[in-house]
Amino acid sequence: MPFEMTRRGLLAAGAASLLLPDRAFSAVPQRIVSLDYGLASTLLSLGLVPKAIASRADWDIWVIEPELPAEVADLGSSWEINFEVLESLKPDLILTTPFNEALTPRLETVAPTLTLGVFTVEGGDVLPKAVAATRALAARVEKPQEGEVFIARTEAFFDSCRARIERINAPPLALINFLDARHARIYTSPGLYHNVMQRIGLQNAWSAPGNFWGFETIGIERLAEITDPATRLIAFEPVPADVMPKLEQSPLWQALPFARPGHFAVLPGALMFGMLNDAVRFARLLTDHLEQAA
Amino acid sequence: MSVRSHLGPASIVLALLTVALVLAVRQAAPVLGDAAANAGMARIVFINSTLPRMATALLAGACLALSGALFQQVLRNPLASPTTLGISAGANLALVAVTLFVPGLLGFGRDLVALSGSAAAAGLVFLMGARQKFSAFSLVMSGLVVSLWCGALSAVLMLLNERYLVSLFIWGAGSLSQQSWTIPLSLAPKLAIVCVAVAVILRPLVLNELGDAGARALGVNLGRLRVVAVIAAVALAAFVTSAVGVIGFIGLVAPTIARLAGARRAGAQLVWSTLIGSALLFLTDTTLLATAGTFADFLPTGAVTAIFGSPLLLILLPRLKIRHRLMEAPAPVALKPETARRAARIVLPAAILVLAAALFFGRSPDLGFTLMPPDLAGDLMALRLPRIVAAFFSGAMLAVAGTILQRLTGNEMASPEVLGISAGATLGVAAAVFLVATPGLGAQLGFSALGAFGVLFVIFLIAARSGLQPERVLLAGIALSAMVDAVIGVIGATGDPRAIFLLRWMSGSTYSVTVLAAVLAAVLAVALVGAAGLMRRWLDLLPLGASAAAALGVPVGRARLLLLGLAGLLSAVATMSVGPLSFVGLMAPHLARQLGFVRAAPQLLGGALCGGMLMVAADWLGRSLAYPYEIPAGLVSALVGAPFLIILMRRARG
Repeated sequence: MPFEMTRRGLLAAGAASLLLPDRAFSAVPQRIVSLDYGLASTLLSLGLVPKAIASRADWDIWVIEPELPAEVADLGSSWEINFEVLESLKPDLILTTPFNEALTPRLETVAPTLTLGVFTVEGGDVLPKAVAATRALAARVEKPQEGEVFIARTEAFFDSCRARIERINAPPLALINFLDARHARIYTSPGLYHNVMQRIGLQNAWSAPGNFWGFETIGIERLAEITDPATRLIAFEPVPADVMPKLEQSPLWQALPFARPGHFAVLPGALMFGMLNDAVRFARLLTDHLEQAA
Repeated sequence: MSVRSHLGPASIVLALLTVALVLAVRQAAPVLGDAAANAGMARIVFINSTLPRMATALLAGACLALSGALFQQVLRNPLASPTTLGISAGANLALVAVTLFVPGLLGFGRDLVALSGSAAAAGLVFLMGARQKFSAFSLVMSGLVVSLWCGALSAVLMLLNERYLVSLFIWGAGSLSQQSWTIPLSLAPKLAIVCVAVAVILRPLVLNELGDAGARALGVNLGRLRVVAVIAAVALAAFVTSAVGVIGFIGLVAPTIARLAGARRAGAQLVWSTLIGSALLFLTDTTLLATAGTFADFLPTGAVTAIFGSPLLLILLPRLKIRHRLMEAPAPVALKPETARRAARIVLPAAILVLAAALFFGRSPDLGFTLMPPDLAGDLMALRLPRIVAAFFSGAMLAVAGTILQRLTGNEMASPEVLGISAGATLGVAAAVFLVATPGLGAQLGFSALGAFGVLFVIFLIAARSGLQPERVLLAGIALSAMVDAVIGVIGATGDPRAIFLLRWMSGSTYSVTVLAAVLAAVLAVALVGAAGLMRRWLDLLPLGASAAAALGVPVGRARLLLLGLAGLLSAVATMSVGPLSFVGLMAPHLARQLGFVRAAPQLLGGALCGGMLMVAADWLGRSLAYPYEIPAGLVSALVGAPFLIILMRRARG
């Protein structure tokens, strides 16, 4: 029974830390909490369930899969995690990102803290950084084997997507989220979406690089800068209710190549600021859609 | 009206339009002249996006400036603008609430949702204003209270639902980007109808300039005049806000420029303000489009107008003639010291009770309410005590700062935020977030102090030249606050997730208070409130007016300088520990006076106790209501405090 094993492990870890105080930090962590969706999701893929994560309430809106076990507690917003909850959980490892660095000194007073950055101000492609972070996390929780298996499984899935895409002669794609009827967020380098597209052999129609999160905010008229008439536009959910009716009235939208039937689609969302699991979900959604459309 | 009074404004409009047209033509030239292969699409973009955008800029600028000019005329208040009556805040709240809870309604029309929100806010302000016969003071006061309340509630909703933040930020920052002619074509007839209405009330508006008594003597029905003018101004602002979002500063800047350029009579004011506003927004937007390639990030026009508009106002400030005092000072009430003693017997036990409850009573991980469990007492104490101490003393400091400012200016609406100190601190933290990338708590504190004192320095610089007139200091503070709002708006609209951090910081959370920060706040609070106590004689005498105070032996210039410096220091320290929680600084002095603390010394102490108590209660509610998520104390205090203040105002004067 996994629960029993966890409890025994905890007792063992507790005993070890009592006997050898300076080895306490290197003991295998059992009670892990995460301030980041991507790290929590990776932890699940390594076979570990976090005790609590930040913004648990919104997991099903943004991350969606893998499914989060019911016993995972909510730490509150990742900006201001609730220290009263955190301390009552008595964690032995806290996972966080450079995004929350202001909290790190306080987190370290509660438990050892591991900071892994995928989206960092230095910029650079996100996907390789996500692989490196996965490896570092696996090493820290002493699951290096599981980590390598997970990375290999992910790469294999990307390879299969690449093969499927090669068969259908896919068009260039522009990926957006509608913010309202006049504005959108377009995904580009060095973001997760963009890196996955490169990896599975797709061309991003938006060539200008974005911020280090990998997006740019644009007025919808700037979609006219995309000149290749074969380009297909993909919008991710959620799409605000007034967007489509407004766009259909716009002569500009009607003149864009995307207004033609078959050149525009809305897909379910995948976490754009995530790690490998989110990259896999994105690749699967996109490849499935392109195959159906071909 | 002489020709000369039209010369100044006309040349300004001409200059603005010339520059804007040169920029616009340069943009259009490649599309119109070139018949390249891509000309088809470029032409479609030009006709359906660039041209309607220019038309929208011209129309929205005209609407907002006319609205601002009307407000300033009818309220006889150079600080009045569409935002003063809570129009944009109401529209914003409606939009936020609908987006989050009934997104289906947006399919009905985003404009309609925003319009009903602004109409509701305006209606509420009217209802409260009607009790005071639409006096200029009561309208602005209720407008600001409604505005603060709506703003606080929208912020809470956004914070608890981070995912929608970006689109709301874009709307809030006022983007003019267009994909069809729908918006300009719907704005034009609305503006035309309002212009006709304004032409009808033009003559009584001119007479309104004579003052209440003069206008009444000439048979002008002031109540009805104000209702009509305000409805017209509200409608104009609501049309723009619901169509393209908040472009607030035009409504304040355009009438000011018109006045400074020589348009003095009501008719000239309205006409030239409208034209200047129109040209100004057009110029801003074409400049933005011309330089769009240079900026990697998306910039909303509304935020840009405010960034350029507020320093302009700061530069113009020393030349501005303030014709009327902002408010009539409240009639002095003769009360016996007995009242203050009785009030103290209520406030003191109440404060102790609130402090104890906030410390020992809380939520447990199973989501119930519970007394502090003994086994966790050490941990929970360590978590709660610094926050409670910081909340109490920061609330007290803001209350004392508010008391000083209100007595110093004779303006019931003066508060640390109006002074711009809190805004400066926020700007400092914004700089920290972008310069240091991920600032620690120490860096945040340092930068916020730097910002606060920077603003204090600028205010001194501007105000010293004009002899520290309270009105000028207030106007400088408002200009700075608007600039900070704009900067945050720009950051937010680029979709940068760091904006959420700034928003949280601005909303006044005691979350990141350390033991050191709490102790520091307590020590400084005691020292600074003590210093304020030493100046109590000045605070008692200054509200009588500068000449009366001078006759009674107050060194007016030096007293104002010292008091202003003290208020700035108090606000800076409070802001550094718990964010810009200005609402307590506005509310606590009123609360203290209503309870019976009338003279300066009792009002300072009673206000400090009230302010501290309010902050602690707000902090406790913020920690408990949405557990384990937190609502910042500043927002809670604004939500609870605003309706409370309205009730008090009505009981006192209704």
